[in-house]
Amino acid sequence: MIISRLMRSPTPLRWALLIVGIIVALALPWFIYPPVATDMIAWGLFAVALDLLLGYTGLLSFGHAAFWGVSAYTTGIISIHLGVPFYLSILGGAIMAALIAIPIGYLSVRQTGIYFAMVTLAFAQLIYYLANQWRSVTGGENGLQGIPRELFGLDLSDAFIFYYAALPVIMLGVFMAWRIVHSPFGRVIVAIRENPDRTRSLGYGIGQYKIVVFVLSAFLAGLAGGVFSTNHGFASLQEVYWTTSGKVVVMVVLGGMGTLWGGLLGAGIVVQLEDFLATAGVDANGIVTGTIFILTVLLFRKGIWGTAAAMRRPHKRTDPVRSDGEETPVSSARDGG
Amino acid sequence: MNELLQQVFTGLVSGSFYALLALGLSVIFGMLGVVNFAHGAFYMLGAFGALTALNTFNVNFWLALVLVPVALGVFGMIIERSMVRWLTHLDPLYNFLLTFGLALILQDLVRLKYGVSSQPYSRPDALNGSLNLGLFNYPRYQVFVLVFSIALSVLVWLVLTRTRVGMIVRASTERPELTNALGINVSRWITPVFGFGVALASLAGVLAAPMRAVNSGMGGDLIIVVFAVVVIGGLGSVFGSVAAGYLIGMLTAVGNFYLPSVSQSLVFVLMALVLLLRPAGLFGAKEGIS
Amino acid sequence: MKALKKITAIASSVALASAMAACGNAGPGGGSDAKVSGDEIVLGVITDMSGVYSDLAGKNSVEAVKMAVADYEKKYGDKAVTDKIKVVSADHQNKPEIANTKAQQMYDRDGVDAIFDVPTSSAALAVANIAKQKKKLFFDVGAGTTELTGAQCNAYTYHYGYDTYMLANGTGAALAKAGAKNWYIIYPDYAFGQDMNKNFVAAIKKSGGNVVKSDATPFPNDNFSTFMTKAPGLNPKPDVLGTMQAGGDLVNVVKQYNEFGLKKKGIDLAVGLMFDTDIASIGVDALSGTQFTTAWFWNLDKESRAWADEFKAKTGDRPTFDHAGNYSAAMQYLEAVQRAGTDNADKVNGELKDHKVDDFFARNGTIRAGDHNLSHDAYLVKVKEKADMEEESDFTELVKTIPADDAFQSVADSGCSMG
Repeated sequence: MIISRLMRSPTPLRWALLIVGIIVALALPWFIYPPVATDMIAWGLFAVALDLLLGYTGLLSFGHAAFWGVSAYTTGIISIHLGVPFYLSILGGAIMAALIAIPIGYLSVRQTGIYFAMVTLAFAQLIYYLANQWRSVTGGENGLQGIPRELFGLDLSDAFIFYYAALPVIMLGVFMAWRIVHSPFGRVIVAIRENPDRTRSLGYGIGQYKIVVFVLSAFLAGLAGGVFSTNHGFASLQEVYWTTSGKVVVMVVLGGMGTLWGGLLGAGIVVQLEDFLATAGVDANGIVTGTIFILTVLLFRKGIWGTAAAMRRPHKRTDPVRSDGEETPVSSARDGG
Repeated sequence: MNELLQQVFTGLVSGSFYALLALGLSVIFGMLGVVNFAHGAFYMLGAFGALTALNTFNVNFWLALVLVPVALGVFGMIIERSMVRWLTHLDPLYNFLLTFGLALILQDLVRLKYGVSSQPYSRPDALNGSLNLGLFNYPRYQVFVLVFSIALSVLVWLVLTRTRVGMIVRASTERPELTNALGINVSRWITPVFGFGVALASLAGVLAAPMRAVNSGMGGDLIIVVFAVVVIGGLGSVFGSVAAGYLIGMLTAVGNFYLPSVSQSLVFVLMALVLLLRPAGLFGAKEGIS
Repeated sequence: MKALKKITAIASSVALASAMAACGNAGPGGGSDAKVSGDEIVLGVITDMSGVYSDLAGKNSVEAVKMAVADYEKKYGDKAVTDKIKVVSADHQNKPEIANTKAQQMYDRDGVDAIFDVPTSSAALAVANIAKQKKKLFFDVGAGTTELTGAQCNAYTYHYGYDTYMLANGTGAALAKAGAKNWYIIYPDYAFGQDMNKNFVAAIKKSGGNVVKSDATPFPNDNFSTFMTKAPGLNPKPDVLGTMQAGGDLVNVVKQYNEFGLKKKGIDLAVGLMFDTDIASIGVDALSGTQFTTAWFWNLDKESRAWADEFKAKTGDRPTFDHAGNYSAAMQYLEAVQRAGTDNADKVNGELKDHKVDDFFARNGTIRAGDHNLSHDAYLVKVKEKADMEEESDFTELVKTIPADDAFQSVADSGCSMG
């Protein structure tokens, strides 16, 4: 929990990091191609949303594409048919994602661990089939095309300008996640992860807490999905496909689970890598991403952010997600990497 | 009625593949607590194994049916020893992610070698043509697949219930804590069981080669359905995963017949219902869930 | 005169280069009087190099476009509008968002004047929107959707080669006229399959046939046995099973069609979309005699073979119609630039308007102004007997040429209004 540590750590470092973060966010489209930069921050918020569940609550959702995708479509439909400012469309999309998350969350949080992953994956696949079937609304395999970027008549066709129009949505989303984690509510969900039985015995309804965090996470994923589809001007089946769920998990694991900021970092790297691979001519995306994944889980389980934090304080190790709280000598030997 | 029976039969053939895959997934999960995302990739490797055996070593289908699962089973054991093992003491999601990465790599390696187009593989001559089953004729090869998979499932069941090894595996699959508490050394069986699960998946792949498209993507979408199958059957339950495999096969076949446009979603709807009413799965014991 | 032209060109390019150096990041098309923007023509190929279309399109599509550039340079030599023509490419990995981003980047940053190929309809439509926004040209070859030249058509997007209407209409009409009366159609339940089914049914009915039933099948799907057992029991019993499946699913269908011995039961097979790679996957024996429509095949005639030989020498493979289509599209684009004397998209557009094309790929072709679809002769072909094959990939022979006007949907029916 780098954040809680940062909260405790001397104030200057915390402020310095925050300022660096904001500068990077503001400067991004100057050195990254703007549509790619917007993708980065959208995926970044998506990863942060997933981290709320994965890192903080200890629930691996392998079906978060459902919420990202449902919002991508809903945002697009609202923008196309109502022509309202795109902030409203995205809000509508995120609300829709949250609404869908209620029944899915209700059914899924009864499961834990790996069961939860498979159940969410299966629900997301169901959404995928629905999106494919419901062609009159979603465009089916052709995608929902021609999503406008309306904002009080401003000309947002320039991707560079659109980045700055979209940035507040992302910042708001990340801020919300940050507030959630640092609220009393956030402390309860971490407690649920660390020791569900004790938390239950303290009188907290574990199920309800999990559903609420699930829905909040879906809402944030929805904000991100809305930004994404507005950025590209379309929503496609790719957005609800299981590989999208897998991609965001990669981002969080790579950046560092349970670190919040790690997700942003992971998203930036993965999006940049994907963009690079499109023109690099190596023709082996699966091998590259798969290898990164395997190396991360074998050697850098805490992810980039987590590893960096651990190096700063080498005497205390924490594995962000752990089933039983036990560390064996094997893992301590390997964790140093 | 005859028509419906025919669809049920069709479903059982599809179910044969689900059952073999789910069975492998289940024993691996039971023994190691690992959900093997690469299971679909091993299925694909099984089909390509049969192909390579034929094209490179001139090994026919029947021999491939034995050799390919053995070879890939050994490969599976190497994977377990070299990678999976280091993560089993941690949260199971790490191994889920590890095998996810592994699946990406294996699929891409095969694509680089063979491209994305399907590779030809013909049926063994002895299984050409169709067989009169009384009520209807059915392709001989598909009847073979069904009989073979049922026989294999029964065999595995007998091994699990009648032998000492089997009892250890089953006990640790369905009651892991209890088995350990009884002082049985479970760990020495972990690697062979992982290899065995992988061998089952690749066996399903060899069986698929003569009747399905053999390409690098063949396992990618299948694995998602198999996940739903094991959730429906109860992940801890060996019997449940096999039974659910055949059940889902029948459900989709009958769905294809009467409601082709929604049959794909049926599996996931059923899964939602099972979760709502029997969260441990149709055949899973409540406390079997971990 | 020629020398003078050249000097002007050099002078203006020097001026432009220094202007660009001064502004740092002026980008191409900065409104100079140069004939070609950025003093070079850049062709972009966005294709699938690692996904399901990588064998049909992929790297070889890039090679085909490069061949067109070489042939153009050879043809015009000193008279060419410019001697600097570049080909850049990107792998969209079958993800529409990557296609979309790469298209923007190509038009904005790489000075690309026209984009080619782009398989996968969602990616193609996404690039079409970018082309419209940036007012730059886009020639889609790889995608099949009629939307590109229908409801979502635009003034800067061309569809070059084939679409679902052409595929379905050719086979459906020809076979129904040839006596295939009752049809059972199965189609994969996504946009491509749904469109194929719609067009197939319409073509069959128009030609006096009858569609007994058409079933949507799950996509992707491994087991088509349900539909194979269903077929003989339909009333009236179908003469033809029309399959609209593609790629791996098509292989599954044909394997299982043969397993269930439907041919012996008097039910023939008709295929909506098939490539040589599919025939190789399934095996010629399993498909001999099967008819389908194609935009082109390499062994069509002497001219096509000559090009296919050259292609094979470069790539080691026989070309698909997508590869040939990309060559032809790139060539037509460069010819139009030559005629216009500039790469300005609007001027090139003017040159392409209702332009007649007659090369080895597009016979009796017209780049129709009304919907920007290339209409050209299509071919009803059938899979050869193994004994008749002259080489490993010599799979198909011509049954009948479908005249351009019949092969493609009329402009009036396309639903396109060029805004």
